[in-house]
Amino acid sequence: MPNARRSTGLIPLAVLFLVAGCERPVGCTGEYCGTMVIAGGGEPDILLPPVSEFVITRDVTDQLFLKLADLGPSGNTIGDEDFQPQLAARWEWDAPTTLVFHLDTRARWQDGQAVTAADVAFTYDAYTDTLVNSSFRSSLRQVAAVTTRDSLTVVFRFRQRYPEMFYDAVYHMRILPAHLLREVPREQWRSTAFGRAPVGDGPYRFVAWKAGESIELAADSAFFLGRPHLRRVIWRFTPDQQVAVTQLLAGDADAVEVLVTPDNVQRARADTQLATYPYKGSAYGYVGFNLAAPGDSTRPHPLFGDRDLRRALFMATDRERLLRNVFGDLAKVPPGPLSQLWWIWDPEIRELPYDSGQAARLLTRTGWIDTDGDGIRDKDGKPLAFRLLLPTTSAIRRQYARLLQEQFRIAGVDVQLDEVDFGLYNERARAGRFDALLNTWNTDPTPSSGFPQTWTPAGFGRSNYTRYDNPEVDRLVDQAVASAANRDQARRAWRAAVETLNRDAPGIFLFATSNVAAVHKRIVDVTIRPDSWLALLRTWRIPADRLTDRDRVER
Amino acid sequence: MAAWLVRRLVASIAIVFAVVTITFFVVHLAHGTPCGSQDRPLPPEVCQQLCRRFGCDKPLLVQYGMYLARLGHGDLGESIGLHRPIADALAEAIPNTFILALAALLIDFALGLALGIYQAVRAGRFGDVAVGNVALLINSMPVFWLGLVLLLVFAQWLHWFPAGGITDPVLCPRIESPYCVLDFLWHLTLPALTLGLVGAASTARYQRAAMLEVVRQDYVRTARAKGLRERRVLLVHALRNALLPIITLFGLAFPFLFTGAVLIETVFAWPGMGRLAVSAILQRDYPVVTGAALLTSAMVVLGNLIADALYAVADPRIRVRAGEGGGGGGGRD
Repeated sequence: MPNARRSTGLIPLAVLFLVAGCERPVGCTGEYCGTMVIAGGGEPDILLPPVSEFVITRDVTDQLFLKLADLGPSGNTIGDEDFQPQLAARWEWDAPTTLVFHLDTRARWQDGQAVTAADVAFTYDAYTDTLVNSSFRSSLRQVAAVTTRDSLTVVFRFRQRYPEMFYDAVYHMRILPAHLLREVPREQWRSTAFGRAPVGDGPYRFVAWKAGESIELAADSAFFLGRPHLRRVIWRFTPDQQVAVTQLLAGDADAVEVLVTPDNVQRARADTQLATYPYKGSAYGYVGFNLAAPGDSTRPHPLFGDRDLRRALFMATDRERLLRNVFGDLAKVPPGPLSQLWWIWDPEIRELPYDSGQAARLLTRTGWIDTDGDGIRDKDGKPLAFRLLLPTTSAIRRQYARLLQEQFRIAGVDVQLDEVDFGLYNERARAGRFDALLNTWNTDPTPSSGFPQTWTPAGFGRSNYTRYDNPEVDRLVDQAVASAANRDQARRAWRAAVETLNRDAPGIFLFATSNVAAVHKRIVDVTIRPDSWLALLRTWRIPADRLTDRDRVER
Repeated sequence: MAAWLVRRLVASIAIVFAVVTITFFVVHLAHGTPCGSQDRPLPPEVCQQLCRRFGCDKPLLVQYGMYLARLGHGDLGESIGLHRPIADALAEAIPNTFILALAALLIDFALGLALGIYQAVRAGRFGDVAVGNVALLINSMPVFWLGLVLLLVFAQWLHWFPAGGITDPVLCPRIESPYCVLDFLWHLTLPALTLGLVGAASTARYQRAAMLEVVRQDYVRTARAKGLRERRVLLVHALRNALLPIITLFGLAFPFLFTGAVLIETVFAWPGMGRLAVSAILQRDYPVVTGAALLTSAMVVLGNLIADALYAVADPRIRVRAGEGGGGGGGRD
C-alpha cells in the first residue's frame, strides 16, 4: 500500500506528528470505500474518446463513458453471443444487415439527463465526421447509417454482412452526450473544454485533472449497472512505465498495468504487499524487411527483394534464446505476426525453423560468401550489410537490436543500428526509408482489421511498412475474415494465410508479450480483461476489514 | 542606472528572440512528425488533416511568420499533443519548475556558502580536504544519475520520501492545509536536494577560493589586529567581499537549474516545464517546445539581470560606475 510502508520513514513520522492536528477526519466504512492509486506511464491528452489515441486515455474514459455492449470474458469478437449489455439492454437483428439496439431505460448522464438513441446517432455522426478527424473513423466504414426509431431504440445499417458486424458496431464507439457536445464546433473537438472535464454515463464520475500530476474519478453511487466498490480511483502520471513501476515498488501507488521487465516482476513478487496478475499481451514485435527499395516503392529492395535471403536470415535467428534474454518468461515466440490476444494464436502453425546450418547453406547457395575473410559475406564485391531502424524510446527493442546484431554477425551479416526517436522512426517507417526495422504492434482484440492492415496491400502507406504483398495471402485473409462465423473454417483459412506468409519471411517474428499487472493485496476480486485491463474495474473491491485510514478519508 | 537597465533589457529581449528563432528552426528541421503516440500511430489521412490544422504543411518561413504574428499578439498557440492552449499548459508548469529551482537554489547557496567558509577556515586540514573531495565527487556526478540514486535509496529502499509527484493525490489533491504544505515540501525534498547538491558542490569550491583570497587582505589583518573576534572578522568583514564572485555564480546557476530541471523533473515525475518540454520534444509538439524555450530563456535572462543588479548592490564601485553610465557589460569588469 502506498501509505503504510511510507509511514515507517522517520521524516514523515516527525512531520505527521507535528501536524497531527491538521489530519483530515476519516469516516467511510463498509463495502463501498477505498481509494486506488494507479501509476500510469504517460498522461491522457484529452478525455474525449473519438479524438485520443492513448491507451491511458482509453483506461480513464472507459470508466466515464459506456459502449452499447462490451466484450465478454471469452474475448470472442464474432457474432453477438459473447457480448455483454452496457447501454443497450438488448438487441436484435431486423435483417441480415440491420441491427436494432434497445437502450436501458435506467441509463443516465451524470448531469441527470437520460441517455437516448439520439446520443447514439450523434456519437456515430461525430466518430465518422472528417472535421472531428477521429482515428477510429476507418473502423466504422462498414456501418452505412445509424438512425433512431424512438428515444430508446437505435438502428445500425451495415453495407454488407460479415461476421464481426456486431463487434464493429459496439467496440469502437463510447457513446457521448449530444446535449453537451452538439453546440461545440466539430473542428474544435480536439480542444474543447468538455475534454478536460467530461460528463459521462459510466461507473465513475470525473472529479479533477491536475495537468502533469493526476486524474481523479469518483464512483457514481447511482450507476445503473451496479455501484462500483472502489469509491475513488486516481491515476498518477509518470513520464514512462518504468517510473510508474518505481512508484509502485516505493509504495506510492496501488497498481500498475504492466511490470515491463522480468526484474520488476521478481521485485513485485518479492513484495509482500503486492499481488501480481499475469494476462495475455496485445503486442507483438518483429524485424520487418523492407521489400521495396528505401524511399522508392516501385523497385524491389536490393537485398530483401530476395526471398531466399530473408528466409536465411530468419533461420539464422535463435528467437527462443533472444526472448529468454530480453523477456524471461514474459513473452512467447509467436508462430507468425500474431499477438497472444488473437484467437487464431496456434503454436502448431508451421514456420521456418532455427537452423543456422541451413541458413548458412542457403546464403552460400545464393552467392553470399565471405571472399575476403573479414567475417562478412559478400557478393559482387558488396558486403551483406544492412541498417536496422528502431526507436530509442523502446528499451526492449534496443536490447533486441544488439542481440540480433551479434547473431547476424555470426552468420556473416553486418547490421548497423539506426536508433532514432519515435517521431522520426514513425516518419521513416511510413515513408519506407529503411532497410529493416524493429517494430511492434499493439493489436485490437481481433485479427480481422489489424492483420490485413499490416500484411496485405490494404495497408500500403499505412501500417504495412514492409510492403509485403502476396495475392495468395490476401485471398486467404479475405476468406478467413468472411468465414469467421464458422470458427473452424476461419481458423483453417487464417492458419493457411499465416503459414504462407511465414514461408515468404517478410519479417522475423520475435516476441508476443505476456503482461503482468501488479495490484496491492488489500484490493480483491481483481479480474483483468486482456484487451483492456481496467474494463472490469467496477467489480474490484477492498473488504471492509482491510480498509486503511487513507481508504476511509472523506472528501 | 536607468540607462544601464534599459540597455540590459533591450539586450535581454534580443537574446530571447534569438533563442526562440533558433529553437523554432531547429525543432522544425529535425525530422519526424507529430502524428500519434507509440500506443497508436495516427492513420495518414488523420495525420495530414491534423498537420493542415496546425499549419505544418506550409513552408517553414511562412510558419515562422505566422508564429511571430501570433506571438506579437501574446498568443503562444495551441499544443498539438495536449489539445489545449500552450499558455495554459505553461502557466500550470512554470510555478512547479520555479519552486523546484528556487528550493534547489536555496540548498545550493546555503550549503555551498557554509561549506566553502568551513573549508576556508580549515584550509589544508582534514575537514577541508574531506569536504573538498566529497564536493568533487558530487560535482562530477551527472545530475540525473544522482537523482536516480537518491530515488532508489530514500524512496524505494528506505521509504523515507515519496518516489515522485508533487503531493499525495489521496490526502492532498490541493495544497490548502498545513498538512498538505508539509506534504508538498516532503515531495519537493528529493528533487530539490538532487539539483541543489550538485550546485552546492561547485559553489563551495568558489566560496572557499574567494574566502582564502579575502582573508589575506590587509583590512582583514587590521580587523584581527583591532582584536575583533574571529567569527566577526570572517562573517562580517571577509564574507561580504568574498560574496562577489558568488553573486556571479548566482547568475550562472539559473541556466544550470533550468536545464537540470529538465532531467530531474522526468526522474521524479515533477510536473514542471522540463517534463513538459521533454514530452513535447518526443512527440514533435513544435509549439510547446518553442513556447517552453521562450519562457526558459526569458527566465534565465531575468536571473542574470537580477544577478547583475545584486552585484551592483554588493559592490559600491560598480554601483557608482553604473550610475555614471559607465557600467557597460553588466558590471563584470
